[in-house]
Amino acid sequence: MTPPADKTIWSATVNKKSVELLINSNAVLLDVLRDQVGTLGVKRGCDLGTCGCCTVMIDGEPRLSCLCLAGQVSKTSITTVEGLADGAHLAPIQACFAKYGGSQCGFCTPGFLVASQALLVDNPSPTDQEIAEAIEGNLCRCTGYQQIIESIQEAAKIHRGEVAPPTPASDPHPDPHPGGPGEPSMPPGHAK
Amino acid sequence: MPPFTLHHPESIEEAVETASKLIAQGDDFDWVAGGTDVVPNYKWRINPKPHVISLASIPEANQTSRYEIGCMTKLSSLTADNEVHPLIVEAASKIASSLIRKSATVGGNLCLDTRCFWYNQSEDWRRSIDWCHKADCGTGADCRVIPNQNTLCVATYQGDLAPNFMALGAEVTLIGPDGKRVMPLEEFYQLDGMKKNVLQRGEFMLKVTLPKDAYDYEGSYQKLRLRESWDFPEAGISAAWKKGDYSSLRIASTALESIPKTHDDQVSEFVSAWEKGATISKLSDAIRKSVKPVNNTALPPNYRRSVVRILAKRALNNIGCE
Amino acid sequence: MSAGYRQQPGNSSSKRTDGKRIAGKQVFPPPGSGGSRPQMKERDLDYIPESVGGKEPQPAGSHIHDRIRTGTVVGKSLSLVDSNAKVTGQAWYGDDVRLPNETIGKILRSPHHYAKIKSIDTSRVEALPGVIAVATGQDASNSFGVLPVTKDEHAMAVEKVRHMGDLVACVCAESEAIAIEALSLFDIEWEELEPVFDRKMGLEDVDEPIHWRGKYHLSRTNVQKRVFQEFGDRSLVENAHASSHGKWSMEGVHHGFTEPHAVVAHWDPNGRLQLYTPQQVPHYTHRALSTVLDVPMHQINVIRTFVGGGFGGKSDPFPHEMCAAILARKSGRPVRITFDREEVYWINRGRHPSDIEVKMTADDIGRISGFDIDALIDGGGFASFGHVTSYYNGVLATAPYELGSFHYTGARVWTNKPASGAMRGHGAVNTRCAVEVGLDEMAEQMAVDPIDLRLANLLPPHSRTITGFRITSNGMREALEEVRNGSNWDKKFRQLPLGKGIGVGCGFFISGSGLPIHWDPNRFPHATVHIQVDMDGGVTVHTGAADIGQGSTTAVAQVVAEVLALPIEMIHVRSHESDTAPVDLGSYSSRVTFMNANAAIRAALEIREQILKAAWDILGYHPNTLVLNDRRIYYKHDPSIGVSYLKALHKAQEDKGSLIASGAYRSPPMGGVHKGAAAGLAPAYSFSAYVAEVDVDVELGLVKCTNVWAAHDCGKALNPLAVKGQIIGSCHMGLGQVLSEKMVYGRTGHLQNANLLEYKIPSVHEMPHVVPIIIESCDPEGPFGAKEAGEGPLLPILPAVVNAVYDAVGVRFRDLPLTPDIVYKGIERQRRALKLDDCLELPSPRLEHGPMQEVLVARAAEHKTRDKARQRTEDTSHYVNGVLFGFDPNIPLEDQVDGWRMATEPDPEQLAELGLAGKAWLKKTQREMGRD
Repeated sequence: MTPPADKTIWSATVNKKSVELLINSNAVLLDVLRDQVGTLGVKRGCDLGTCGCCTVMIDGEPRLSCLCLAGQVSKTSITTVEGLADGAHLAPIQACFAKYGGSQCGFCTPGFLVASQALLVDNPSPTDQEIAEAIEGNLCRCTGYQQIIESIQEAAKIHRGEVAPPTPASDPHPDPHPGGPGEPSMPPGHAK
Repeated sequence: MPPFTLHHPESIEEAVETASKLIAQGDDFDWVAGGTDVVPNYKWRINPKPHVISLASIPEANQTSRYEIGCMTKLSSLTADNEVHPLIVEAASKIASSLIRKSATVGGNLCLDTRCFWYNQSEDWRRSIDWCHKADCGTGADCRVIPNQNTLCVATYQGDLAPNFMALGAEVTLIGPDGKRVMPLEEFYQLDGMKKNVLQRGEFMLKVTLPKDAYDYEGSYQKLRLRESWDFPEAGISAAWKKGDYSSLRIASTALESIPKTHDDQVSEFVSAWEKGATISKLSDAIRKSVKPVNNTALPPNYRRSVVRILAKRALNNIGCE
Repeated sequence: MSAGYRQQPGNSSSKRTDGKRIAGKQVFPPPGSGGSRPQMKERDLDYIPESVGGKEPQPAGSHIHDRIRTGTVVGKSLSLVDSNAKVTGQAWYGDDVRLPNETIGKILRSPHHYAKIKSIDTSRVEALPGVIAVATGQDASNSFGVLPVTKDEHAMAVEKVRHMGDLVACVCAESEAIAIEALSLFDIEWEELEPVFDRKMGLEDVDEPIHWRGKYHLSRTNVQKRVFQEFGDRSLVENAHASSHGKWSMEGVHHGFTEPHAVVAHWDPNGRLQLYTPQQVPHYTHRALSTVLDVPMHQINVIRTFVGGGFGGKSDPFPHEMCAAILARKSGRPVRITFDREEVYWINRGRHPSDIEVKMTADDIGRISGFDIDALIDGGGFASFGHVTSYYNGVLATAPYELGSFHYTGARVWTNKPASGAMRGHGAVNTRCAVEVGLDEMAEQMAVDPIDLRLANLLPPHSRTITGFRITSNGMREALEEVRNGSNWDKKFRQLPLGKGIGVGCGFFISGSGLPIHWDPNRFPHATVHIQVDMDGGVTVHTGAADIGQGSTTAVAQVVAEVLALPIEMIHVRSHESDTAPVDLGSYSSRVTFMNANAAIRAALEIREQILKAAWDILGYHPNTLVLNDRRIYYKHDPSIGVSYLKALHKAQEDKGSLIASGAYRSPPMGGVHKGAAAGLAPAYSFSAYVAEVDVDVELGLVKCTNVWAAHDCGKALNPLAVKGQIIGSCHMGLGQVLSEKMVYGRTGHLQNANLLEYKIPSVHEMPHVVPIIIESCDPEGPFGAKEAGEGPLLPILPAVVNAVYDAVGVRFRDLPLTPDIVYKGIERQRRALKLDDCLELPSPRLEHGPMQEVLVARAAEHKTRDKARQRTEDTSHYVNGVLFGFDPNIPLEDQVDGWRMATEPDPEQLAELGLAGKAWLKKTQREMGRD
């Protein structure tokens, strides 16, 4: 029987939370994140660096976690897709991917979000070409990339402050018609 | 992932010491820089070793200046902003994808393992062809590209930086238990897809050094690939010169054989009597004739060889060599 | 982060006494509590059709569903209803299902292309500490397959393995590392057999055919299915004015979805199987599991996880799903099996590698008189959907054109390679490319514009194709006109410099398969949807529609929201579990929107009726005079008289509690009665036309597609954002097939590129700028007029690019993909033929219109008027293929024309001249050979 791999203590900050784990010496970051930290939003598409689904931010830089030996990135700060939203708020990039069709089956989406978030933090006014370069390591089989680039451009507008974040998605439809007595009188809009 | 112990030396001395210790114990090991070459190979269980030594924490390997580039320098940090030579910036920006360049390093790219579609496959896959010469798992298997021979490995070197550093006349510094060695980059590579280079056991590449006049050179790198992301070069030609000075012209190629190489012989044959318009195609043709790609990458070798002529011509045209 | 949306519902104006916001305050008030806005939303007249008093234009005429439009969501660009789960990383795909106490399963795969298993000894595997259970083919000998007629798969090889990577055995263990180690401990005795890789060899007799079909087996060949179809007047082929003859070789391509297959199986404490799998067609898996495990279907719950891309590649029941269930049953613990990328290629089911021969002829007034196709397709080791693919390669290539005659021979052979199957544009893509390029070539011979050639030969709306398919709505003409104008075609075609080119291609695809393959459509519907509305007013929709990213869940939610005039947030679609979902055939053959949304509309209409009836009770006005709008029902002539949705709902619920409704969809009876008539039969068809522009690096042979104008007739875009996404995505996938993607089998028969580095899916840099153009032909039977938009848009991109490359360099290519080496070779050959020194001196093709051009333009103009009248059902006369050739549509064609044929088997005298695949007809079945 093959001897089990050496174990080592590994610590990092994942999505602003400190974690300390006992990992195999040969562990790859992607496996640590999925199997031990539990951030299942980090996806495994090819496991060989050619799809970008596993992209996470390590100290602000987008990196492929499937090619990253965990031991080489201990004591870093890691952000996964789960760490993009701030509490109850979606990050602009997330909201724009949802709104402008940047996500279809959604499997590549976490990687795209992290890669494009890293871009926008660096460069809130990217050209389409710069966006293409930033996401050239991410493979999407559904969208043909075009709506992804549009989503990133829309998010960039929010980052630049040109566009206010749209009204919160939570209050879209306050019930206009209370069920009880005292129905509203003349509703303004109706078809003849 | 096969089991191994990862070591994290924090200085050159410690790295050499770790290596020496493992050698003394009879343990085999690999160096790892960014991991973008080693990790996929290990996942496919291609020649894994029980120990892996990371160069990530060695300060000297992480230093970069105009003339000295540490082996741990990330490809993504080779940008014009850092005053890196434009030819190196151009070549680096064409490597793999932007995400891989965030991890991949200069040293890793220069020491890239040679590639072959009979070799870069999973363990099950390779077992089903009864292995090959390069990863024979103790069977003494034949080469699968050129059948019935197991003396030479013809796996292709597909690094992008090497021909460009060569065209600029760069030197590399190697360091190991027997001390430090400095040599021109073209001497670093050794024919045979298994040997690949001159690194001795326990020795690693510390840095690349550009000669003092490197910044007088203007260069161009032509990379043939199917997609503008992810793909290794199917053929690559780099040309550089001190503008207008034909005697300074250097041309190097990659992805056409087991090693990147310079084409000094072909260049010197033509530069002495350069004829505007005519020489360029003769030289390009001579370079085409001097390379021998084999069938182990995505595109067929006869095509790759044919278009070397075009790539060379374009590289020369780009630098104003007419 | 200050910028952003609120993810959780919450009302920021409500504060705690300490001033902090109260998190999670619900938006939708409980019944009777009143809301924060006193007025309802106005009816959105822009999204209410003209025919019922709104402002939405209806150039293609009115629709039966117009009266139930409320202007709520249909026709508006919406986020997918599950997009928040996807952008936050909370969407759960196959490998994200982690059950407590799970074990990890691994599959032992065949190292041989073709071999008998003489024995398997698992004792060393079982002895390995940490191994929980081991299974081999002996544990499940029942066969299964996606089509009932070709059940030729097993959970694991029973007697022999049929391709490298075929399943041999499986094991589950405490950890992945142990499971991997266990795989090396199987002791297997093999007897290797002679493998077949070349599809042409599949037509020959061999000692050991890959499968044996008993008396139906064709001699001793590896032919799995052969097809012959001949329609029309073959005499028209003689005296051709123009002709095209092309022999194509197309490589196999893979779906390349980003999520590898994964499955989790668990037998619950009551002994029921819970199986989690990213499936497009959970119902077939359900059936197959029952067969293989010998467990009744009601003791199995198939749970569809989120599906990380399908494209047809996750629509077969898969052996690894059986393996997980078997291991879980043996071990008593949950088993998770996740593929690595290589295994994804071993299971394959991608597009068939094909040899296709197309012969076309046109007569002296530019009518397409002959249309001959021969398709030999490489099925790999198993049947999969191949039976159907064999037909699709022919029958889906005829429309949108009116033909004088059609002749098709097809054969699908088994080879010792991973099985081919259904992939986006199933069976229609390769022949479509060949046909459209053939048209381009004929146009060139006739010196006419290829777009005008097409426009003068289109079938009109409400007609029948030569093989008897019923076409209803048809937006082909408009699509062609749109891309012609959008691309500025008339200023570019045959006028661009060397290296730049522009090309056109059309497409035609089914919107749902007419026949459900497991049952009689006359007795059981295609799709069923249940709706439940409880006191809270929220609407729960139960459907088995499998959302694979295309947005079927959103489409179903949308149509229900539209009918009930409710915000889409109030519609909750439950589609993951077979326990709660009514039987549904899932996501394939582009059926979900058409069939599921139709079923959902029917269910929603039932609910609507109950609510309106309650409102009638309350208001005293007949439902015909009531308007539904934004949670209020009011009298249409005096909106002040109204009742809230909730109040009406509660009235409707009196005495019976929550409202329940069920809706179903079945396709109308249609199509011919000949053998194979059901293949390709659909309740509606989509049409598309693309123009592509390319840049060819003439020296290197590299082709880059720069611009695409993509018009697709989807009937009615329920969600334009999603339709555009499908169009652009289809371009990407088709572009991969035409320029770079191929499954490479080397000289040893091994798949050389089972990974995403060497399998070249276009990156963002290879993607052209796509202008998606939505054509709305308003299908009479589609939900609100909608048809499919997921597969059809892929078809035209291939021929558009190939034709554009011709326009750029003047060389016709018939080998796909057009990798640079192929293009380089073609250009070099041309250069030598023209005796030029440099390929940069090659002439670009030019066009000077011949006399035929005018004839075609005139006919196209005439047909345009005809089509418009038929589309708007102002002209309801009968129209069948053949009218263009002067036949009376009201008399059966065979009664009018002597030579009119409708044959599904070749005449003996035809046998000598059959094409490559047609050679399969030279063989006899075992029964015919007297060996039954």
